[in-house]
Amino acid sequence: MYPLDARSLRAGRGGRGGWSGIGPNVVLLGLTSLLTDISSEMVSAVLPIYLVITLGLTPLQFGFIDGLAQCVTAFARLASGWVADRWQRKRAVAACGYGVSTACRLGLLAAGSSTLWLTAVMAVDRLGKGIRTSPRDALISMSCDAGKLGLAFGIHRALDTTGALLGPLIAFALLFVFPGAYDLLFVVSFCFGVLGLAVLMCFVREPAIDAPGEVRSGARAAPDASPWSALAANRPFLALTAAGTVLGMATVADAFVYLLLQRKTAVPVSGVPLMVVGTSLVYLLLAVPAGRLGDRLGRRRVFLFGHGFLLLACANLLFGGTSLAAGALSLGLLGAFYACTDGVLAAAASAVLPTGLRTTGLAVLATATSVARLVASVAFGALWNWFGTGWALGVFLLGLTIAIGVAAPLCIRIEVRS
Amino acid sequence: MTPADKDARGRRRALAFGAVLLATLGLAAGYAWHVAKRDAAASRSTAPALGGSARVVPMDRARPQLVYRSTALGDGYGKVAFRPLDDAASASVLTPLSCERVHFAAGHGVCLASRRGLPTTYAAELFNERFEVIHSIALAGPPSRARMSPDGRYAAFTVFVSGHAYSNPGFTTRTSIVDAATGRPVAQDLEAFELLHDGRQVSASDRNFWGVSFSPDGQRFVATVGTGGQVMLVEGDIASRRMRVIHGDVECPSWSPDGSRIAFKRRSASGATGRVLWRLHVLELASGKETALLTETRNVDDQVEWLNDREIVYSMPDDAQPPTAATQLWALAVDGRSAPRAYLRFAYSPAVANRAGAR
Repeated sequence: MYPLDARSLRAGRGGRGGWSGIGPNVVLLGLTSLLTDISSEMVSAVLPIYLVITLGLTPLQFGFIDGLAQCVTAFARLASGWVADRWQRKRAVAACGYGVSTACRLGLLAAGSSTLWLTAVMAVDRLGKGIRTSPRDALISMSCDAGKLGLAFGIHRALDTTGALLGPLIAFALLFVFPGAYDLLFVVSFCFGVLGLAVLMCFVREPAIDAPGEVRSGARAAPDASPWSALAANRPFLALTAAGTVLGMATVADAFVYLLLQRKTAVPVSGVPLMVVGTSLVYLLLAVPAGRLGDRLGRRRVFLFGHGFLLLACANLLFGGTSLAAGALSLGLLGAFYACTDGVLAAAASAVLPTGLRTTGLAVLATATSVARLVASVAFGALWNWFGTGWALGVFLLGLTIAIGVAAPLCIRIEVRS
Repeated sequence: MTPADKDARGRRRALAFGAVLLATLGLAAGYAWHVAKRDAAASRSTAPALGGSARVVPMDRARPQLVYRSTALGDGYGKVAFRPLDDAASASVLTPLSCERVHFAAGHGVCLASRRGLPTTYAAELFNERFEVIHSIALAGPPSRARMSPDGRYAAFTVFVSGHAYSNPGFTTRTSIVDAATGRPVAQDLEAFELLHDGRQVSASDRNFWGVSFSPDGQRFVATVGTGGQVMLVEGDIASRRMRVIHGDVECPSWSPDGSRIAFKRRSASGATGRVLWRLHVLELASGKETALLTETRNVDDQVEWLNDREIVYSMPDDAQPPTAATQLWALAVDGRSAPRAYLRFAYSPAVANRAGAR
């Protein structure tokens, strides 16, 4: 490792007002994510994997494989968090995750048209995502001033989303010039993945953890204590995890929002990708302002009230008009919801996690919220199937209102204290 | 660490990154060059001849013709082509129409086209015997099946309408029937037709229809209905807008030219891998007798076409290595004993036009 002290990494280069206190690592990690997202989105945009899978596997088999992949991903995330903290090798663990996903692009090339292999490659790709996310977020949080956490995550998520928007564009341009050349698409996607990995390996530096005396939050981080018991004793962290889980269980997945919107406004199904683009654009534009707002007003508050945007989006879906403008309003609200919650939650958690525990803590939080969202998706799907969309939306509207009420004391009181 | 050491380290890293950048650029550019060369070679060796000008050599209406989608890699990929059915030696004529799926009968054709872009859009294009598009109908999702009635009066097509993948990974489809001459819908969605099962009306909301095939007289049709986890064969009547279930476990039916049989595919799980395998079968309508065409051991995911009253034709992925987007047509006698024979390379979505005896 490079004997650099954490402070020099956190210090920004210039005195450009609001951007000082953001280390070069933040932008570099954003660049890594941008390149990796180009790599993954250009594949998922054109591969009709959905059809391949639904046609080749029975729903039961698909559900089983999907569930298995989710479990493996959750386990991989916790394990990677623990390894990254235990040996203080966040960058190496993140690189491992990026490498696994990048190798999957070549796996697609080798899989040909075999459904079984395609499914396996997709599962391994997700595994890579599970491995890399928490160490990367920990690196971001340790490469900026404590007061700029929201801004740092905002910058990273904005770059990340830019990659997700560019990926499909590049894919379609490629297939326009070389029709049917899916192998070329996989090769180019692999190249973008390798570049992302190269940015990480060549330029991102492993920040040193704070000395024990420097630990900011209320956690008692005895160096030899198990990370799990240390996390269990970290009350601000537990409160945030509880809030994230409760809110996650009342969150309507974006796929449902797009589908409901498509039905309501009678836009052709082929318009759904445009909805995704619109939402991403709003997310992209609001990620930095929302992060700044979190730094100023309290990240937990912004996270909590960000769910208000989702509440409004659902209410608009249920009670609003069927015009395109009403639909666009829902998408804008959804984008604002992501901007106020995704990076902001990671920033809020980083603020209460000692650096030696940060990756593990972020992994626990991410696992808890993703399991909660999975439960919510299954529940929403079931309600939709049995009672129709109106009931499903109504129940979730009520559920989200209650969840915000339950999470409010967890988010607001602790903010005041910390 | 001295500042000089730091500088040297920084330089080494920038150099390493530069090397990776060059290597990836080289790999991408080299592979693109390889693909361009491969496509050029493929189109030289395999593509049907294009008449030079955009005008298509008119189809000889007196002879039966095979109309299909060319899958020879290169410029002609995805274009509609045709050639005389009885003359394997004659060259195909490539038309300017680009389709994912095509069918043609009695001077009228239907082409399910996709226009790549953001977003990719899909349309059903109705065309005449000069392969000129006369009506274009926007589609709600990726094309799956296309059929003309033998008299050229009706066109039917099925598209995928993506389902909500979280709770229910099963696919949803929409099947429409339109008047080929006017482009007006007979049924925007077959769900609008009444469906009877054992004399009782079925109104479950999860009805999915796919794979229409018309009777020889063009007044009736068969199709697959999926509901409650079951797939069944329905027979429908256009005039009365009514359908009834006539058989179980049938997908993508195809009505024989003599009207007596239905060829179809049926799901069977295959051994240890648990992957679904579609096997071909033929149903005799009068007796209900089924014949399994087990000499075709591969997974056939197609709505077959009858070459004549004895043989069916369907497409399979080309066995080239590495796998490409090319496909190949195979013919199979429906006696249950004959082996499939390779019929035509670089072809997909076959349709037999100007059948002897038709019209």
